[in-house]
Amino acid sequence: MSAPVLNISNLSVNYSTDRGTLHALRDVDLHIQAGRIVGIVGESGCGKSTLISTIIRLLSANACVEEGEVLFQGEDLLALDAKAMRKLRGNELAMVFQDPMTSLNPVLSIGRQMLDIQYRDDGSKAEKKSRSLHMLERVGIPDAATQLDRYPHHLSGGMRQRVAIAMALMTEPSLLIADEPTTALDATLEIQIIQRLRQLQRDVGCAVLFISHHLGVISELCDEVVVMYAGEVVESGGTRQVFDAPKHPYTRGLLECDPASIQASDNILPVIPGQLPDLTDPPPGCIFQPRCDRSVAQCSSQRPRLDGQGHRAACFVATS
Amino acid sequence: MKEVLAVRDMQVRYPTSGGLAALMAGKRATSIDVVCGVSFAVAPGDTLAIVGESGSGKTTLAMGLSGLVPVSGGDVVLDGNAVAMNSKGFLQPDRRRISVMLQDPVGSLSPRMTVQRLLAEPFRIDPELADDPDAAALRLLDRVGLSREFAGRYPHQLSGGQARRVGLARALAQKPGLLIADEPTAGLDVSIQGEMLNLLAEVQRDMGLGIIMITHNLNIVRHAATDMAIMYLGRFIEQGLPQRIFERPRHPYTAALLAANPSVNPATAIDRIQLLGEVPSLFERPRGCEFHTRCPRAQDVCLERFPQRQGVANTQVWNCVNPVD
Ligand SMILES: Nc1ncnc2c1ncn2[C@@H]1O[C@H](COP(=O)(O)OP(=O)(O)O)[C@@H](O)[C@H]1O
Ligand SMILES: Nc1ncnc2c1ncn2[C@@H]1O[C@H](COP(=O)(O)OP(=O)(O)O)[C@@H](O)[C@H]1O
Ligand SMILES: [Mg+2]
Ligand SMILES: [Mg+2]
Repeated sequence: MSAPVLNISNLSVNYSTDRGTLHALRDVDLHIQAGRIVGIVGESGCGKSTLISTIIRLLSANACVEEGEVLFQGEDLLALDAKAMRKLRGNELAMVFQDPMTSLNPVLSIGRQMLDIQYRDDGSKAEKKSRSLHMLERVGIPDAATQLDRYPHHLSGGMRQRVAIAMALMTEPSLLIADEPTTALDATLEIQIIQRLRQLQRDVGCAVLFISHHLGVISELCDEVVVMYAGEVVESGGTRQVFDAPKHPYTRGLLECDPASIQASDNILPVIPGQLPDLTDPPPGCIFQPRCDRSVAQCSSQRPRLDGQGHRAACFVATS
Repeated sequence: MKEVLAVRDMQVRYPTSGGLAALMAGKRATSIDVVCGVSFAVAPGDTLAIVGESGSGKTTLAMGLSGLVPVSGGDVVLDGNAVAMNSKGFLQPDRRRISVMLQDPVGSLSPRMTVQRLLAEPFRIDPELADDPDAAALRLLDRVGLSREFAGRYPHQLSGGQARRVGLARALAQKPGLLIADEPTAGLDVSIQGEMLNLLAEVQRDMGLGIIMITHNLNIVRHAATDMAIMYLGRFIEQGLPQRIFERPRHPYTAALLAANPSVNPATAIDRIQLLGEVPSLFERPRGCEFHTRCPRAQDVCLERFPQRQGVANTQVWNCVNPVD
């Protein structure tokens, strides 16, 4: 097995709020091997953005890392100073966001921005331009030479996201973090971009941490899946293992609710009854217990752990 | 059954003089056609799903129908009566009969009003709707499945699903005959999405509502709609009964859209039709069939004129000279 690029262990992050301490992440473990694509699925509020913000060290001011470690290529990110972190972000660690304009500058041409991102590299301007061209072609931008002179507002949403991906991969990072990058796109574009991303990831050889609440997208793209619920990892494993034989009742519920997998044209859809727990006062036992239809006595007093290797779930009932 | 709304050949055109729009148009076009000739009807209890990617004109269509943007052509008949247009081209429908649930759930709610005030407001504006606005507001809260404790909250204190419910409650205050729901589940998690759709179905049953549901999520259409229309650059290119269209899409764009739907079931990825390129800009609307620039089945004639409608009315119709078998 290759070395892990990212190793998160025992990570707990809190926000201080006027209602008290909000436990946004609790004992999160996540490991990404080099060259693997790992997807995080989970509903709004489960802590996906908090997790990414912790990794790239952009947590809001009221956040506090209570415990844990984030090792990136063996280096503790939580201990890096701001300068070292900035250097890493533009180089070894790249990001793509849901809104591509987060990473594009509206007043600079595409060509100029792609040149700027290579400022650390050697080579003539002509060489860098040809690298930019090549990268745009690889992400599927038609007529790339013309696009270099255009500005972001000339491009459609799908094209902008392709450019954002091209820029992120320009520096050949070891890890690409993509936060819902295809959520705003039409299904036909979504699939094209996912297929390109998969191809590029193989060529560049980077690892990818892909965040989405679209189960189908995760299923098509990722090698491994991490399922999060209310600040905890409740299940993780190979994508096919998790989607074909989910262990945790929450994962099962999620898959059952996905209208894509319901063939009957009944107009009543299945739902997971109940509400997310209040994270300022999480239940003492299993985080999913209040909504779980399979819980036993132990579940309300003890917290199940995500132990072991491979496909595993934090659940007392579904340990098989 | 008697239709709540019937629309024929409706069009919406935006002028593009000045600003960014003119720049993008390269000063050539003076207007862009955002909705170009759509026709449909909705009866009580029906749900028409309008599917199309961002920018295809769905929201503009909804705004035109509710009189929020001027229309540039077409006939709109509400409860059997033609809807008049004012001198600026805005439709003047009976405001109580059509209500709209806007796309941006939090942004469309005034941030400084509590849920209670937001829900009582329609009754204060139109006192004929209820004797006691506050009591009526609480009844609405109940109707959309929110407990009383939400009455005192502000919009930013609501989750996406809760804000959608408040938006729905406001839309129901006037007891409309037609509800236009613009992306009612966009950005919601699957479980919450199911709750929202179930609530819409329940409200529809109880009130005999006609619903136009605008969405780019195909997965929900199969469950929630009695009719569907696929919109591409302002036109309905295929239209009819969802079970027909899902089973046998005829327009190549519909076929590609259905096949591109990523699923947790790996088997569905096999027959995927690859589309070429990107959605063209409205400023550079292709000639002939607008889809020809991406169509794997395009022929010479497709570059010349927009294809005639084919198929069986009210069952499945499409505009394509070389449809998928
Ligand atoms: N700056 C903040 N202050 C207080 N609470 C926050 C803040 N950011 C996020 N939260 C809370 O932390 C939890 C996790 O949020 P987030 O990481 O944004 O989840 P996701 O990205 O999965 O939707 C939620 O309960 C959210 O309300
Ligand atoms: N007020 C406006 N002036 C000019 N163009 C507009 C205006 N509003 C929307 N558009 C354009 O009309 C097109 C359709 O937009 P919209 O109806 O919002 O599409 P959808 O809801 O399908 O995403 C877009 O290209 C948009 O840029
Ligand atoms: Mg988030
Ligand atoms: Mg819209």
